[in-house]
Amino acid sequence: MQKQIFESEIGESYTLATLDNGLKIYICEKPSYTSAYAIFGTKYGSIDTRFSKNGGEAVSVPECIAHFLEHKLFESEDGDAFTKYAETGAMANAFTSFDRTCYLFSCSDRFYENLNILLDFVQSPYFTKETVEKEQGIIGQEIRMYDDSPSFKVLFNMLSQMYINHAVKIDIAGTVESIAEINSDLLYKCYETFYNPANMYICIAGNVDTKEVLSIIESSIKPCERVEIDRVGFDEPDSVLSNYVEQSFPVLTPIFCYGYKQKIKTPYRRLKSKVCVELLLEIICGEASPLYKRLVDEGLINDEFEFEYFTGRDYASVIFSGESSDPKRVAEEISKEIAKIRENGFDKRLFSAVKCALYGDAVRSFNSVEAIALSFTECAISDYDLFEKIRLLKTVSYADVLKRIDVFDDDLSVLSVISPLNGDKK
Amino acid sequence: MLENSVALGNSAQGFFIESQRFKTTYISYNFYLPLEKENAAQFALLPFILTTCGKEYPDFSKLNFKLNKLYSASLSASAEKVGDYQLLKMSISVIDDKYALDGEELVLKAAELLNSLVFLPRTENNAFFSEDVEREKRKAIEHIRGEIAEKRLYARRRLIEEMYKDDIYGTPKCGTEADVERITPENLYKAWEYMLSTASIVVNVVSGVLPNNIFGDIKSQLSGIDRSRAISVLPSRPTRALYAAKHIEEKMDVAQGKLVMGFSAGTSVDDEVGAALTVMCDIFGGGPYSRLFANVREKMSLCYYCSASIEKRKGLLMVDSGVEAQNAKKAEAEILRQLEIVKSGNFTDFEFESSKKSIVNSLRGYGDHQEAVDAWFTIKSAVNSPVSPEDFAKLIEKVDKNAVIEAAKTVKLHTVYMLMPEKSGNGEEEI
Repeated sequence: MQKQIFESEIGESYTLATLDNGLKIYICEKPSYTSAYAIFGTKYGSIDTRFSKNGGEAVSVPECIAHFLEHKLFESEDGDAFTKYAETGAMANAFTSFDRTCYLFSCSDRFYENLNILLDFVQSPYFTKETVEKEQGIIGQEIRMYDDSPSFKVLFNMLSQMYINHAVKIDIAGTVESIAEINSDLLYKCYETFYNPANMYICIAGNVDTKEVLSIIESSIKPCERVEIDRVGFDEPDSVLSNYVEQSFPVLTPIFCYGYKQKIKTPYRRLKSKVCVELLLEIICGEASPLYKRLVDEGLINDEFEFEYFTGRDYASVIFSGESSDPKRVAEEISKEIAKIRENGFDKRLFSAVKCALYGDAVRSFNSVEAIALSFTECAISDYDLFEKIRLLKTVSYADVLKRIDVFDDDLSVLSVISPLNGDKK
Repeated sequence: MLENSVALGNSAQGFFIESQRFKTTYISYNFYLPLEKENAAQFALLPFILTTCGKEYPDFSKLNFKLNKLYSASLSASAEKVGDYQLLKMSISVIDDKYALDGEELVLKAAELLNSLVFLPRTENNAFFSEDVEREKRKAIEHIRGEIAEKRLYARRRLIEEMYKDDIYGTPKCGTEADVERITPENLYKAWEYMLSTASIVVNVVSGVLPNNIFGDIKSQLSGIDRSRAISVLPSRPTRALYAAKHIEEKMDVAQGKLVMGFSAGTSVDDEVGAALTVMCDIFGGGPYSRLFANVREKMSLCYYCSASIEKRKGLLMVDSGVEAQNAKKAEAEILRQLEIVKSGNFTDFEFESSKKSIVNSLRGYGDHQEAVDAWFTIKSAVNSPVSPEDFAKLIEKVDKNAVIEAAKTVKLHTVYMLMPEKSGNGEEEI
């Protein structure tokens, strides 16, 4: 095992241990806290659909398997993990996103017992024809629940026009049709590829003892051959299918997602790029920006307005979203503001203020053991130090941020709108 | 966690909850007013207008700039229903001075800012500025309209409206669209004056250090206001049990139906009865070990979610679930069957113990979340029962099976609300 300790001047530190099998373990001790939060995750999400294992032939699998596996892993041959957690009182859950699946628990007592439950069930797959069929019913209902969510639809409608080949355009849970293709063989195939310690990480923050945690993990990780995964790229063109998509829904105010697809050359963005784009977004339309004021004064946006840099393996885009009586105007105004900044730069005072703000947010995130553990998953996937963002926020320059204006290209923008059904308009 | 309370005047109290865990200081001003159908919208608008501009910050852009310079001091506003009261909250959270990069003073500045926003709004001639009022009215109306988009929330809201047609609790927490339309710069100013003079006030500070003279400043602001008619928060009117439950069904263009069931239940503050109600509700529809999750979702696959929650001040227990139209009647019958099982005491020791452990686990974790600490003390101090989460956890541990059965016996079906797809039956033919 290799161990590194990282420290920060904000009075936090953590240990990163890497086991010989490649498993990464992040631990942040918070002795003054009562609770602790733990995640056992794999770099396996809905976009990992084409891959080869140990140099073998590439295979394609349905997009929805990562999520399906997440549901199924809670069942083991000797019972259900929720039943075991119920005996300790821990709160347990799991989630699947585009590039990761995470199993987690939080507790204010009996942490080590809970950790053993987590380590055990994630390493004990158990799927049968019957259990797979039962889960198809439950996930089918989950999918139909999202079918009624306009905020979910508006995002995926946008992604469906923005991405041509990339699997990020597909719902994480899949469709009622795609989950019907799943069987236990497919589940085992994906499990055996992606649930290998070399592709996994454990992230813990809270009232725990690092030494004890490491000793439990070392003795509980089952021996297995290291797996090399080669993920096949998507050959995504630098274009979009269309710049506009609209769907009607039972809503009273239109909802929108306005995104800019970024031309990218490498699979992942560096942390510095992410921080610079985040700063740039605050400058373009953060709450202290001139554009935000204009949009509010003209009645075009409300408190639901938000934006994010949406990026992962082989995809990157900037997304603005919210409610508006006139989404097209909002998109035009954003586009004009970007053009203005490209031409004239931006206010240096605003730059210094948003840097302060993001620094404050980064410090604040250390209040929460949950936020620390979730940030560790990002560190594990993108391979950076948890404190790097705080350091970067002190050093990034005006020029660093301004040059990121290149992520915006009007030809690669997509406006997705959910509009009221006829008769619901007000 | 150590708590100290300070009297700030008639029916106004300050609480300093000392905790060294956090990197931030959190300050909240909480105003309790009796829920009133005619005025709910006005009162609900106050926290929002007061935290978007003020006499010293006439423009929300400048205010937001100032918040950025205070390292993203986070200013929040909310209007919630707590039993038969409206709770108007304005809060600020700011990183502690030692983390400022250039030695700036942050906490005191943030405390002064919030104080100034609450007590010195942007007004002239006893009225708010109409541009500010119109902006906030538009946002409030869009917020009310936006609720229909999220069907789970919408269905819950509709159940409350139907269940409390003749009770003040049926008033929407931010009023109706028509109520918002009627707000004027003048009547909003009167509402602000009324809030300062009449509300029961709780100010919480959750921090490692009490900001210098914070309570003294508030006390002196309040001393200039006639608070002789300030209210105290009293128990809410319990939910009346019905002899025969009401059934309401609405159709909408949705893929999946929503089934929400409202029950009248016992009421309590956080005493032994309250602890038993909490455990009962959790055994019925709390975690994955609960009757509803284990049976309605897992065993019968009738829905993706099915859970119960309880508002003990009002004596309201609510079950909500997302169901396919053809399963709705079957799900309703099964939910009622599970309730009968809890009432008859036929739940297992495993369910009983798991439930208590889960609640205690969550209560003991409260102190790790600044906003949860604030929320807890806001609710408890207003009803003069400052039970700490730890004290309540001890009450939960003492609950026995009989107390759960007694609590369950108070639960009676009141109203069933179904939101169903337009082209569907609700499965009635299957029964």
